[in-house]
Amino acid sequence: MGSMPASDGLLALEPGRVVGLTGSVGTGMTRLGLSLMAEASRRGPVAFVDVRGWLCPLSAWESGIEPDRLAVVRCPDPGRWPKVVAALLEGIPAVYAEVPTGVSDALLRRLGALARNRRRSLLLRPLRGSLPSGLTHLRLEGQGIEWEGVGDGHGRLLGRRLLVEASGKATGGIPRLIEIEGGEDGADAVRVVPRLAPAAVVGSAATAAG
Amino acid sequence: MWFPDWPLRPLSGQPPLPPDEPYQAVGADNRVAAFNPAAEAAGVVLGMARREAEGVCPAVTTIVRDLGAEAAAFEPVARAVEDLVPRIELAEPGLLFVPVTGAVRYYGGEGSLVELLNKEVEVVAGPGGRFGLAAGPFAARMAAELAVNDPHIVADDAAFVESLDLSAVAPDELVATFRWLGITTLGELARLPRPAVLSRFGPEGLTAHRLASGEDRAAMTRPIPDDLAVEERFSPSLESLEQAAFVARALSVRLIEELARYGAMPHRVEVEGESSTGVVRNRVWRSADPFGDTELAERVRWQLGSWVEGEGITGGLVRLRLAPADLSDEGRQLALHEDAVALAEAQRSLLRAQSLAGPDAVLASQPQGGRDPADQVLWRRWGEEASPVRDATAPWPGRLPGPAPALVPTQPPALDVEWEEGTPTRVRLGSRWEPILSWAGPWRRMGKWWEGEGHCDRYQLVTSAGAFLVEVAADGARLTGVYD
Repeated sequence: MGSMPASDGLLALEPGRVVGLTGSVGTGMTRLGLSLMAEASRRGPVAFVDVRGWLCPLSAWESGIEPDRLAVVRCPDPGRWPKVVAALLEGIPAVYAEVPTGVSDALLRRLGALARNRRRSLLLRPLRGSLPSGLTHLRLEGQGIEWEGVGDGHGRLLGRRLLVEASGKATGGIPRLIEIEGGEDGADAVRVVPRLAPAAVVGSAATAAG
Repeated sequence: MWFPDWPLRPLSGQPPLPPDEPYQAVGADNRVAAFNPAAEAAGVVLGMARREAEGVCPAVTTIVRDLGAEAAAFEPVARAVEDLVPRIELAEPGLLFVPVTGAVRYYGGEGSLVELLNKEVEVVAGPGGRFGLAAGPFAARMAAELAVNDPHIVADDAAFVESLDLSAVAPDELVATFRWLGITTLGELARLPRPAVLSRFGPEGLTAHRLASGEDRAAMTRPIPDDLAVEERFSPSLESLEQAAFVARALSVRLIEELARYGAMPHRVEVEGESSTGVVRNRVWRSADPFGDTELAERVRWQLGSWVEGEGITGGLVRLRLAPADLSDEGRQLALHEDAVALAEAQRSLLRAQSLAGPDAVLASQPQGGRDPADQVLWRRWGEEASPVRDATAPWPGRLPGPAPALVPTQPPALDVEWEEGTPTRVRLGSRWEPILSWAGPWRRMGKWWEGEGHCDRYQLVTSAGAFLVEVAADGARLTGVYD
């Protein structure tokens, strides 16, 4: 749950690229997005566009974002939201924006073009629904999350294992399953989960049983 | 002229602090900025961490500085000095610099001038001001520290500076390095060849060497256009201090950005304001380190506040002008030219976002003490300063352990939780019931029972849809955090 290991090429922000974060609330995608911004926060301000006003900066600091570099911009109004995000993209190298319902695909595409133009990293987390196709360079979708440290009324949340599907141009069009595991005391460990074809799984299980 | 206890001065309408009890003032960095004699006797020292000072002097009462109010209270003092000697420069509330070359002749000598200033200032602010006079501002500042009962006039800057301690010219780590290398006095430092000091210790060492040699800051060698002032007119005039503060930030960012293109940063800025009635006021602010846009904006804001509270500017502000002076290219060493421009671009973006979404919608945050994740965050408007109400480093019994939930609902919604003999078994999320895979708690938070507040228990509940922070009180369960 600390910062992302910089060596992993896939889970890194690139200037001018849009990253889509999808997955229902609870799948750990907010923290993932925050940790992707940690590197950029070492060089200057980063912005988080908060539609509901729910972001707790503590989690951002724990994810490696420098406290005095995080600007939280509260914008619940979908009418004003595109202009606010555009204003931020002008000068802030990395922007994470929750996307409210009611923002048209066309406006989202324009913001994507602005990000590419100005070489800014833009992370978009739609609160409902999905992002228009072709907008994102990398799509990260939360597939599941497991927590450790907590039992039957004892312990406390210590670490989590997050399963994310990465897809889009960044993966060469082939979706990849990534497992991110980590606790409080260090950077996350990231590994790609090899996908086995269903037939192979059945075959090996049969062999093991027999 | 320096009032070391300015932060402890009572603001208008407040009674003076009792002299027998120890008092200290801390700034936003939680370090001691001022103390009264009672605290000094117990061992409190400038720059000490607040906790350390409270350990040395447990009876001390700590006041958190309000620089805006201090600046407003200092304005009459600045004006009193200005009436005698024009073109004064403020460094911070309580500390001002007066260029006295011409005035000395006019008032018949250094001694007479200082005596006159002392008298006039005492009328406005009472005793306690320390006057130091020297050829350069650094030596004058150091002389003021020594001028406890009487003004301290320095005859020879170089000789005076040589007698000072190393810590006056360099930060702690550099001083330690100097001492370790056998350099113990400023005189010894000054005798080292300057190019060697620069290459071994970098720009900080160069500054220390210059100061040790009795010089002050070097002037810029690079040619820059003469008029780099930025100005803005307002129609209709700005009525509220808040609007003015916003504009102050915009202009400060513009000025610093303009200068950054030349690789320069200002050490002095003249702030000029004009009211709708035609009254023009100006004041020069100076800084030992070059002004960044945040520091400059802060001082412009204090100045506007001081003018408004005094009768300086009435009827609204129609014009604001910031003119830089005394530029140095130290800015090049503090941040690369390109970085300075990028930073100014970022600030401008945030200012624009502020004007679109509202000034309260663009926020910065810092840690403070508290038991729950929401309490542990102190919010402030981006660009402003705030000081923590609660010490972030102190232990907080009842604090919730574990990672912070990324999402904390502003109005915690009621949650349906099913229990079986004290164990939570399932929770309703949306339209679905999710079985609870594992859980921990309760962490009890005692309410303010003296105000009739009950206690509540916090739980961490893990489902396959995610982990949630839930608070259970007498009236049921609420969702207070999502570990997203």
